[in-house]
Amino acid sequence: MAVQVSAATAPAAPATPARTVSARHFVRLKLRVMGNNFRGQGWRIAMFVGGALVGLWFAASGFFLFAAPGMTGNGRYAVLVAAAGGGLLVLGWLLLPLVFFGVDETLDPARFALLPLPRRTLVVGLFAAALVSVPVLAASIASLGLVLTAWALGGWSAGLVAVLGVLAGLLLCVAASRAVTSAFASMLRSRRVRDLAAVLLAVTAALLGPLQVFGLAALRQTDWNRLTGPASVLGWTPFGAPWTAGIDVAQGRVWAAPLKLLITVATIAALLAWWSRSLESAMVGSATAGRAPARREVGGGAVAQLFPRATAWVRRDRFGALVARDARYWWRDARRRANLITIAVVGIFVPVLVNVMGGDFASPENGGFTAAAGDSSPVVVTLSLLIVGIVASATLANQFGFDGSAYAANVVAGVPGRIELRARMTAFSLYVLPMLVLVAVVLSVLLSRPAWIGLMVGSLVATYGAGLAVNSFVSVLGAYSLPETSNPFGMNSGAGMAKGLLTLLAMVTTAVVGVPMVVAAALLGDAWLWLALPFGTAYGLGTALLGAYLAGDVLDRRQPELLATVTPRR
Amino acid sequence: MTGEHPALVLRGLAKRFDGTVAVAGVDLDVPAGSFYGLLGPNGAGKTTTLSMAVGLLRPDAGSAWVLGQDVWRDPVAAKQLLGVMPDGVRLFDRLSGAELLAYNGLLRGMDPAVVDQRAAELLDVLALGDAGRTLVVDYSAGMKKKIGLACALLHGPRVLVLDEPFEAVDPVSAALIRDILTRYAAGGGTVVFSSHVMEVVERLCSHVAILAQGTIKRVGTIADVRGGRSLEQVFVEVVGGRTATGDELSWLSR
Repeated sequence: MAVQVSAATAPAAPATPARTVSARHFVRLKLRVMGNNFRGQGWRIAMFVGGALVGLWFAASGFFLFAAPGMTGNGRYAVLVAAAGGGLLVLGWLLLPLVFFGVDETLDPARFALLPLPRRTLVVGLFAAALVSVPVLAASIASLGLVLTAWALGGWSAGLVAVLGVLAGLLLCVAASRAVTSAFASMLRSRRVRDLAAVLLAVTAALLGPLQVFGLAALRQTDWNRLTGPASVLGWTPFGAPWTAGIDVAQGRVWAAPLKLLITVATIAALLAWWSRSLESAMVGSATAGRAPARREVGGGAVAQLFPRATAWVRRDRFGALVARDARYWWRDARRRANLITIAVVGIFVPVLVNVMGGDFASPENGGFTAAAGDSSPVVVTLSLLIVGIVASATLANQFGFDGSAYAANVVAGVPGRIELRARMTAFSLYVLPMLVLVAVVLSVLLSRPAWIGLMVGSLVATYGAGLAVNSFVSVLGAYSLPETSNPFGMNSGAGMAKGLLTLLAMVTTAVVGVPMVVAAALLGDAWLWLALPFGTAYGLGTALLGAYLAGDVLDRRQPELLATVTPRR
Repeated sequence: MTGEHPALVLRGLAKRFDGTVAVAGVDLDVPAGSFYGLLGPNGAGKTTTLSMAVGLLRPDAGSAWVLGQDVWRDPVAAKQLLGVMPDGVRLFDRLSGAELLAYNGLLRGMDPAVVDQRAAELLDVLALGDAGRTLVVDYSAGMKKKIGLACALLHGPRVLVLDEPFEAVDPVSAALIRDILTRYAAGGGTVVFSSHVMEVVERLCSHVAILAQGTIKRVGTIADVRGGRSLEQVFVEVVGGRTATGDELSWLSR
């Protein structure tokens, strides 16, 4: 009897048409996960609200920028504003997650690996879920300005096309950021990419020259009308197409709008296809792809194996072990390595942009690097290097979060806080100090000011050291957990806000502590060129050690609490 | 001197997370030289209790002493006597096995030469030597347990606290771990470990405590707790819950 019944029902079970899974489910899942994250966590809600307010502020300023041509009724710059502003928006979505913020991994693709979902459903669903976020909201508010402009200049039809264009543009932004980070993440997982990343960096640095000539040609003309040409060209690339469609209608080029929308849609489709390919590798995991080829046996005892060659000088004791382990981690952990690459990029770009390009802009009559040097002053150089030192040291703002629950080993061993912090600073500096010196050398060559090397290294080391001190406190008091995912850009939802605000706080404080270097550069004149190196080094070293001393005390008192905050919730 | 003190004493340990009580006042006396099993169903508070006992998680109330040293007043002294293998906690897994052992040894302030010698022996005995320079992150689950145990043993602690040492371990490795722990206990060390595998506890332990819903339900020597029955019977009776299913899952059998 029982057999009869089950024979009738069991085969039917798989055949029952399962209810189709749609993007709606993913969106609801994301909202639910976000909501559950807030439950009983007042500070997380506060962080979220704070982040939303910051987003609103950016959204409002973006809105007025986009709406300006429409509100003034001046259509001349409409294409320029739409193409350039929109292009910057896309570029920001592309680069900011890589460099600064990370990607919201509330819905980790790997979690869906076991579910019987077609890849198309999964991609569309995750894409829809990715649209539910504060940055998307902020960007959509800002781009409403474009709709206003198109409406003011060309009436309802133009406004309607602008709405379509802006919506497509927002989709493009999110698709681009997802596709690029996902691809970059699966690249960074493989061990060969370390070398590739280095090559990429070299190429970017080499591109600076041509880029500068191009920038010069554009910037030398204070006449903005010259820029409308490049802007309308930009309007035909995916960067500008969605944003300029409405303006085109308003200015009578109705035929252009459908073409531009087509370009956008095609780009989105291509990006999603790309994303879905790298998603697959993210889902099946990197266990096979990332496994190292059997490593060579290396002679020597366990202790000798632990210490990399760069740390050969360190004593074989507690401090030495911490330094060696941390130094190895900066290289072996994809998340940390991504941060190192960021520092290298920022370290080269910011000073060169500020000093070389900025100098050219101020003196349109002259071209080339040598002429630019005349305009850059020790104060400007110091200021730009301040930024480099700040960014470099801010990497340590969540240094314990990188370790996650593995930090338990140090808690169990009862490592004194001061030794812990000093060792972490030392290991990080093994990578960063050579980079900083390189930045100073490159910059002095570009400016043809070899005499300024001392000033540059001094400013860099001073702010870097001060930043280490500030970030010791931030890392002990404001740590947060990172998801245990293979994506080096992964973040927990809510943590995105926390990370942004904390990093901002640490950066502002570091800037304040670094101000004496700028003041000295402004007041002391030529003497400072020689004093900056010894003073800056002493200042950086002194503040870093003081920071480790004071923050180490705090760490001693809250080791278990720190462990709890960096342990990901399961 | 430390011989006068019990290996581990817990008094009134309590912890709540976000309003739910995880551990509601645990008292425990682990005599020196004993082999102590902490039994309990999933979610009973075993990990929370052990974390508070070794200084990984600050209790809301209560205290813990290791051989007379207060874990929360004087953590450094207590931690020197302890070897700990936490569960559900990552190791510094981007090091190779040898590197991880060297790191832990030096962190404990050991002499580098001694670290080298003991690490080589441990890797050899635990059959981890073949892994060479493979990173711990690429180890199998059983190998991770073994390297975790090696890290806990390396500095020769007086008290060994292990959270779920037999979880996800194959029978060969389990036998090896049992052998090592038995030798350690025979040499005068104290072992405290949590588990829900009755056979292992019954075979190894001199003392047992059964933890459920955050409190100790039964405690004593293994003979006392069993009282002539099998440990599993006692456990199920203490913990409660259904052991057989009724009509509900009829669709499971076709």
